[in-house]
Order: sequence, then C-alpha cells, then structure tokens
Amino acid sequence: MAPFACPLEPDTFFVTLAFMPETANGSAYRILVVSLLGVVVGTAASLTAIAFVDAVLWLNQELLVSPYARIQHEQHPRLLNAATVAVPVLGGLLVGLVVRWLVTESRGLGPPDSIMAVQTRRAPPTPASGAGSTLAALLSLGCGASVGQYGPLVYLGTIFGSLAGRLNLGIRDLQAIGIGCGVAAAISTAFNAPIAGLVFAHEVILRHYSLRAFAPVTVASATGYVFANVIFERAPLFLVNFDGVEHSYEFPLFALEGVLAAGLAAAFMRLLVLSGRAARATGVPDWLRPAVAGLGLGVCGLYIPEVLGVGKETLRFATIEGAFRIDELTLILLAKIGMTALCVGFGFVGGVFSPALLIGILAGALYSMVLGNLLPVPQSGLVVYAICGMMAVTSPVIGAPLTTILIVFELTRNYDLTIAAMVAVVFSNLVAYRVFGRSLFDVQLAGRGFDLSFGRDKAILNVMRAADHMTNACTRLSPSASVGELIRRLANEGRSEAVLVDNNQRFLGVVRIQDVQQADRSTPLREIADTTGVTFDETTTIWDAMNRMRGFVGEAVPLVARDGTFRGVVPEGAVIDAYLEAIHDLRREENAAA
Amino acid sequence: MQRRRFALAGAVLAAAAAWSGAAHATAGMSDQVLTVVTWGGSYEESQRAAYFRKFTELKGVPIEVVRYDGGVKALREHLKENDPPHWDVIDMLMADARSACDAGLLEPFDPSILAPAPDGTPAREDFDDGAIMDCAIAQTVFSTVIAYDDRAFPGAKPQTVADFFDLEAFPGRRALRKAPVGLFEWALRAYGVPRRQIYNLLSTERGFDLALRKLDQIRPRLAWWESGAEPVRMLKEGRVAMATAYNGRVFHAQAVDNAPISVIWDSQLLDYTTWAIPKGTPQKDLAERFIRFATRTANLGDQANRISYGPARESARRRIGRHVETGVPMRPHMPTAPRHLEKAIRQDHAWYAQTEDLRWRRFEAWLDRPEDTIGRQNSPGMSTAEGKPPMDQ
Repeated sequence: MAPFACPLEPDTFFVTLAFMPETANGSAYRILVVSLLGVVVGTAASLTAIAFVDAVLWLNQELLVSPYARIQHEQHPRLLNAATVAVPVLGGLLVGLVVRWLVTESRGLGPPDSIMAVQTRRAPPTPASGAGSTLAALLSLGCGASVGQYGPLVYLGTIFGSLAGRLNLGIRDLQAIGIGCGVAAAISTAFNAPIAGLVFAHEVILRHYSLRAFAPVTVASATGYVFANVIFERAPLFLVNFDGVEHSYEFPLFALEGVLAAGLAAAFMRLLVLSGRAARATGVPDWLRPAVAGLGLGVCGLYIPEVLGVGKETLRFATIEGAFRIDELTLILLAKIGMTALCVGFGFVGGVFSPALLIGILAGALYSMVLGNLLPVPQSGLVVYAICGMMAVTSPVIGAPLTTILIVFELTRNYDLTIAAMVAVVFSNLVAYRVFGRSLFDVQLAGRGFDLSFGRDKAILNVMRAADHMTNACTRLSPSASVGELIRRLANEGRSEAVLVDNNQRFLGVVRIQDVQQADRSTPLREIADTTGVTFDETTTIWDAMNRMRGFVGEAVPLVARDGTFRGVVPEGAVIDAYLEAIHDLRREENAAA
Repeated sequence: MQRRRFALAGAVLAAAAAWSGAAHATAGMSDQVLTVVTWGGSYEESQRAAYFRKFTELKGVPIEVVRYDGGVKALREHLKENDPPHWDVIDMLMADARSACDAGLLEPFDPSILAPAPDGTPAREDFDDGAIMDCAIAQTVFSTVIAYDDRAFPGAKPQTVADFFDLEAFPGRRALRKAPVGLFEWALRAYGVPRRQIYNLLSTERGFDLALRKLDQIRPRLAWWESGAEPVRMLKEGRVAMATAYNGRVFHAQAVDNAPISVIWDSQLLDYTTWAIPKGTPQKDLAERFIRFATRTANLGDQANRISYGPARESARRRIGRHVETGVPMRPHMPTAPRHLEKAIRQDHAWYAQTEDLRWRRFEAWLDRPEDTIGRQNSPGMSTAEGKPPMDQ
C-alpha cells in the first residue's frame, strides 16, 4: 500500500508529516517518534518489570516460599509444612479463578501471544486480559509455583508495546516495533543484560532485523538497563568466578554436553505438552486445575523444597563444587522437571524460561560430576559445565541461541565462559531443532495453526483467509438453465464463467464459455458443468489458495462452505494481490530503514 | 538443647570510675550514678576519653562501667535477677539490640532526644539510614576483619577470605570467635558466593552444611577466642598466624603498639554498635541525656580519632582526622573507607535476629562432633597430618 493511500487529517501536524513521502523531514519525524517510543515503552516495561519482580519477592517472603522466610520459622515445623501445602493450593485456586474471570482467552498469556500479534499484525489479547494474566502470573510465582517469571515479563512488555502501537502516529509496523521495545526492555531489566534484551526481541519476537525496528528496540533495551542497573541497582541473576578453560579437550565435552542438553530440553518440552493434554483428559474443570497442581507441588515441596519458586538459591548452589551429591542432584533435577510440567500443564500462569535455567544448571553440574567419575582427566571446574548446561537447555526451549550466549557474556563478562557456552548452545539447538522444533513457543503456536517452521512467509500466508477476499460479483445460474441463456448472461455481464447453484444455494459446478462452444444451445448446463475444478472453503488460507491455484484457468474460484453451500467467488487476481502484498510487506518491513 | 556458650568473661566486672569522686557513688544512691554496660579494652578507653569523662564533668554524674562481651543473654539474666535493673545504658550490637527489643528487654527509643548536627541538620537526616531503631540508636560502624601476623607469611601475603581457609598456601593456626557470628559468611565467601546472596544461601540447610564443611578444612588448626582483646594478643604472641578480630582492636595494635599485624579487608563483616536502655531502669531520663551526649557530632568525631570505628552520622564522619596519640591518618583504617566498603559484607540483622537459636544449634553440634568424622572430605586445603587439634579455650 502506498503511503498516500490513507486519508489525510489536516488538523494533525504529526499525521501530516507522517504521510509525507520519503523526504528528509519524514524520516526525521520517524526517527524522533520511534526513539521516543523506545524510551516511553522501555520505561513503562522496565518499571513494571521491576515492580513485578519485587512483588513476587515480597509474596515469596510473606507466604513462606523463600528460604529466607522459611528459616525464620524453622522452630515451627508444623506451620512451615502447613504453609508449604496450603499456599500453592490456595494460590492455585486464586489463579484458576483470576484466569477464568479476568482473562478472555481463559489461559495465561505469554511469548507465543506476543509472537502471534507481531507476525500477523493483529491486535494481541486486550490489555484487560493482559492485566488479568499478569495478575495470575504474579499469584502463581508468589505462591511458589514452579513456573518462570520471564514469560509474564515479556507479556508485560507486549501490553505496553501494543498500547503504543495503537497510537495514530502514521508509522508503519508501529505495533511490532512497540512490542519489540517492550519485550526488549523487560528482558534487559530482568537479566541486567541490555544486549541480550535487544537480541531476544529480534530473535524470538520480531524474527527479522531491520534498521527501523533495531533503533527503537535498542533505545528501549538501554532504557531498561538504566533503570535496572543504574537507578535501582538490581542484583544480576548470577555471578560466577571462572578462570578460563584449561584444557583443549574440554571443548568436545562442551559439545557433547550440548547434545545431551538438547535431549533433556526436548524431553522437558514434550513433557510440558503432554502434561497439558493430561490435564484436559482428567476432566477436572479449568479453574480447579492449578489448585490440583498446587497440591502436587506442595506435597513434593515437603520433601524437596528446592522445587518451590524460582529457586535462585539452588541456582547458586549448582555452581559450587560439593554442594550436591550426585543422587541429590538427580532427584532435584527430576523433581524440578516434573513439577514444572505439572504446574505449567495444569494452568499455573508463568513461563518456562526460569525453570529451564534451573534445570539446565543442575543438569550441567550433574554432567560435570558424572564425567569426573567416568573420565579420569582434569576439568576446569564445575562452573563452566554448569553454565553450559544452563544455556544449552534453555536455548532450545525458548528458541534463542544468540540471546542465551549473550546473557552469559553480559552477566559474567567472561570471554572463556561465553565461548564454552556458545559451543554447547549451538550443538544443543541443532539437535533439539531436529528432535522437537525450533522452540516451545513455536510448537505451541503451530498447535494454534500458526506454523513458523517454514518461515514467516508461510506462517503469515497461512493465517490470511481467502474468504476475506470473497465477492458476490459473479454470474449465478440454475442447473436447468440452457447454454443459450448462459451465453446471453455472460455477454451481458462481461464474464467468461458462471456458477451453477440450485434453489437451496448448493454449489453444483462451474461452466466456462470455452466449455460450451461446441454444445447445443438448448443443452441444460448441468450436463456440461465442471464439478472437479478448484474450490475454496471458509478455512482456505492464502497459502493454500496459491498452492491449489497452480495450473488454474479461470477468473475466480468459487468459495463453497463445508456444507456445500455456495458463498461467493474469490477472484484469482485478489488472491495474487493478497499474496504479493503480504510478501511485499514482509520484505519492506525487513528492509525498512529509519 | 545445650546452654549457649555466651562469652560473659566470667563474672561481670564492675569497674569503678577511677577519675570521679567515687565517694558518693555507692550502690544505695543509684540515682546519682549512671551505669553504662560496654565492652572493655581500647574501645572502652576511646569511650571514656571521648565522652564518659566529659559527661561526668558537665553533668556531675559519675559513670560506673560494667563490662560484658555482647549478646542478649547477659541483659536477660540481669533483668531477671534485678528489679529494677541496675544497668541504665547498654552498648549493644545492632542484631542483639533488635533481638532484645523483640524480646521486650529494652525501653522504646525516642529519636527526639538526639542532638542535631552543628550545622543544624536534623539528626534523622544526619544519621545513617536504619540507624534509628525501635529500641536503640546506632552510634559507630565497626567491622570484624581477618588479620594476620606479618611474620608468619614472609613471602606471599594472604589477601582474600579464601586464603584464610587455605592451609596449604598459608599454613598456620587460625583463630575464630567462638560464636556463630561471621564464620558461616566467610566460609561461603570462600566458595565464591556473592556478598548479596550469602544470607539467602545461609537460609537453607545446604548453606549451613557447605559452610561447616569449609570450616572442617581448617578445624584441626583452629583456636577460639571469646573476648575482643584475645585475637590481637594471640597474633602478637605468635600463637596464631591468622585471626578474626574487631578492626578497632587491630588498629590499636598496629598504630599504638606497632605490632606486625595486617588486615585483610576482603569480606569484612560490617556491624553497628548501638546505645539502648534496659527495660525498667529508674533512671531513664538520665540515660537518655547520656545517649544524647554520647552521640553528639563532636563526641563521636572525637572517638573516631581514638579508635578506627566510623561514626554512624555523617557530620561526625567529616571530623575524622589523625589519631590523637600517634598522628596516624584515621580514614584509611575506617571500615567505611570506600575501598574497604566495596568488599564488605553487611551483617543482615533481621536474619541474625531470627536465626539465633538455629545458628547456635548448628555451631554447637559442629563443635561437639568427634574429630574423626571431619576428615572425610579430602579436600586439597586440608592436611590430616597437621597434628593434634587445638584445645577449645
């Protein structure tokens, strides 16, 4: 669509400027607006992210989830045990009710919804639903559910980004840029890692790198970093000391670790999907399911308190040599995987990023310890294997190899550690992609009919409906009409084909002018009609339409409902236009400069 | 549960104020004598010189000093045995003041008694954040540091808390305070745990286990101290190579006695001393007047030039200069010096107040554990051929 096509509102200075052609003034305006957008969305996302994380910490403290709170009551084991079970159960009940009443979609919202909104350029779920989902996530995390906090934070960024995207600023792809900004700021704030935030927004959400989006997303990410690091001085997620990889033979060991981590990640994701199915199969009503998961979690937490909450303490212990025995580590690892699958599958609201980090670091520590027993060669310490495992498990789960590598780099500022993590992450991603898919998000989206595995083009064309281009401008004839009537009507209406429809509007075929040239004028059309030609139904996407129209000869394709009723026709030109427009939009978005 | 090994230094030492007209300071006329409970040694000396004497001169009230070694138990017992109590003011560590306050052993503190800074800055702004507590007012910042005998390490010097636990690189006996204070933190720091996460990790069984396992590595070479003057003496006499000690005592030994002792500032454990008023004292007004006087900018500043404990109020910190006797510049020896502060562990008083029983229980169980169960983790830092374990003093 050309920039001039939109109506010009003379009373609005900005809009006037916005629709100026590609002039110096126009790009100056865009640079100003998108930079401001980055700052405003970045600030909002960053501050709310900080508030969200603090609120979770506060709830964890008040609800006796965090070890720091639990130790203060260590003289009252009964109180602790009661809280360990009651808090997740009651919290789960609340989460179930909040999701039922406050979220239109009746489920937790997260990164898949952000990706969907950006890729399809459709509005994401309403801000009210978003707020409800955020509240549910806050309660889930607050009561110690084994879910992640980054998913909700990403969605929090999405809410602000999509609100900004609604502004009539006359900038193309504003919603996508806004959401990119919000997500980048949220991740930048949460991890204290601005470069990772920037890359995450592109790698996971936007799925392309254009200069137009890059600049504001960078601004937003830096804004988040300023709030997290300079103004509020948040502690980073992990700090480790590492002196460097001492032996060259360890790099193949990192690669092997990556391969094993891929298997673990794939199993973890598979389990998450299965747990969701199992939850539906139980017949427990939606709103009650989180409470059921809470019961399981609480009982498990009585014996293995490490499964409760985000588990920052366990994360730290996993980098300390001698903190766990092999059997303890294995047990905690399995319990964490199981409890995360239970919580996510049964409807606690939250992400999988933080549990993946914890599972990964435990697995990495386990790998190092087992390796130490199997291979009598010196290692460069537990830390590097733990960090490699952490990132090699997380990266395929969220589908973000670059982001995870950068997180290591930004948090540790240690080059050796980053290179080691890079090797593990790359092998992990390669294998997990083959075994499971690009990420849990993409697999979830594919389940909703939005399959990104063959690229953005196919995914977007697959959510565009041919029915949206349907018209009633066609020649309809009854099957009993004669060839003579057909020729007369087609000549009058300037068409070359007609659709045969009976009195019940049932579709009976198409007759083209070239089919009747040899026929007798009085022949009823039903004898000549072509019933085998291409037809669409309500669900036919532009992608399907383009594929079915290979070798198609004609003006328009009939759109026939599943019950056989004729609805209208989709002109061939409209399908091709829609296709070209979508592809053109993608290319333009990907190559857009300021 | 075993009784706590509180370091009460035997009987409480009632030191009559030598300079005051002790004649009228009899027990029967307690309304004319202010009983101040404090810590003895060079710390008490600095208090006497900076404001005890001046208080007596200006207000005409002699001060009777009672010595103790910290903790809450001494106060609890005193209150149990004496109604009304004889003690009027007590110098407590912040965590102890908090516990004592929660236990109802202290009078509520009224911040309006505090004097403003000389330039008129209200006390509330002048004192550090958190200095004004429910039952106490923080007065000085001190720290527990690791100090070592220079003579024991003629080559490479220990520099970090990890070196304290490294008997291989830095052999020699170690002295620790015989109380569950600080040693868990240092043990976790030796594993590389970031300062900010220490108390979160120490809130788990695993954290305690790890810390004690680190302590196992030096246990065969451990000596214990109870009163603040002991570790410096042990270092001076060459009985231990490294010891934890209060930084003011170490400074005194270095600056005044020229002892060959150095400080490892890494992971110094920062704490405040506070003034508090025992519950039910009949001389509450006098006690409040004393606290107002003792925390005046001029007096805290004066004290800071006698012992290297940083004042808890900004206006007094500006008066830190040179040591009154030796002329040594005081600022580099303060625990609050910026380059020392960035390596400091801030003692988490809430955690300390809540974990008192647990800390003692874990510590005593560890002390009581037979020696032969210790050597199981054959860590490189530990040599089992180190000879006989030291006797607990």
